[in-house]
Amino acid sequence: MNHIKVLLFATLRDRAGTKSLEMEIPDRATVQGLKDQIGRDYPNLKEAMGTVLISINREYAFDEAIVPQNAEVAMFPPVSGG
Amino acid sequence: MQPSNFPTFFSITESELDLNDLLAKITLPSTGAAAIFAGMVRGETSRWRRGRHPAQAKRGEAHETAFLEYEAYVPMAEAKMKQVAEEIRERWPSIEGIAIVQRIGKLYPQTPTVLIACTAAHRDTGVFDAARYGIDRLKEIVPIWKKEVGPNGEFWVEGEYIPKPGE
Repeated sequence: MNHIKVLLFATLRDRAGTKSLEMEIPDRATVQGLKDQIGRDYPNLKEAMGTVLISINREYAFDEAIVPQNAEVAMFPPVSGG
Repeated sequence: MQPSNFPTFFSITESELDLNDLLAKITLPSTGAAAIFAGMVRGETSRWRRGRHPAQAKRGEAHETAFLEYEAYVPMAEAKMKQVAEEIRERWPSIEGIAIVQRIGKLYPQTPTVLIACTAAHRDTGVFDAARYGIDRLKEIVPIWKKEVGPNGEFWVEGEYIPKPGE
């Protein structure tokens, strides 16, 4: 298993009621697999998994990407800085 | 001067933005022009050009803003600001200095929130377009968010851009 930290920002943090999640995911799990697991484990986040943006080690990551060991994952809505 | 000596400055700060300080950081002996974009909190919005989501449709009506509350995923935001600066240098090699600064925290109307400044030897070097590109890209890929608070409650402002692989 792979132990990861998932940082949550903006609407994702509000929905979860926490700034981060510590999770065990299968080795070689994909981003899509991670989203599916979060949808099951955290019902408040399920709806958001359809549109959420994901970064792995501070780079944008997409559904087919494998989550590396001990990755720093972040989940957030489309950005709105400026 | 070699491009490697050209200054790039980026930061995410809770402090007041200091335009003079920023300009000094990106002004070289060869610099003769700077284009500066500043964004500020708008207290009164007469209309909103987007209305895709129900929450945004509500914002599409004229409304007042008490304050905006900004947050950032700081280490990734700094990395993406650096990337925006690199993209500017690829497109406009004559740009000398680049500064990108986002203020976060609770910010009230008429307060500057973001500054993008590009310097060059002359004004006809693409320096205006470069600053415009900088603010457009910041709003697309730099992980910063704002919550709008006003008389009708709180709304997270969500962007529309979905980054592509490689961004």
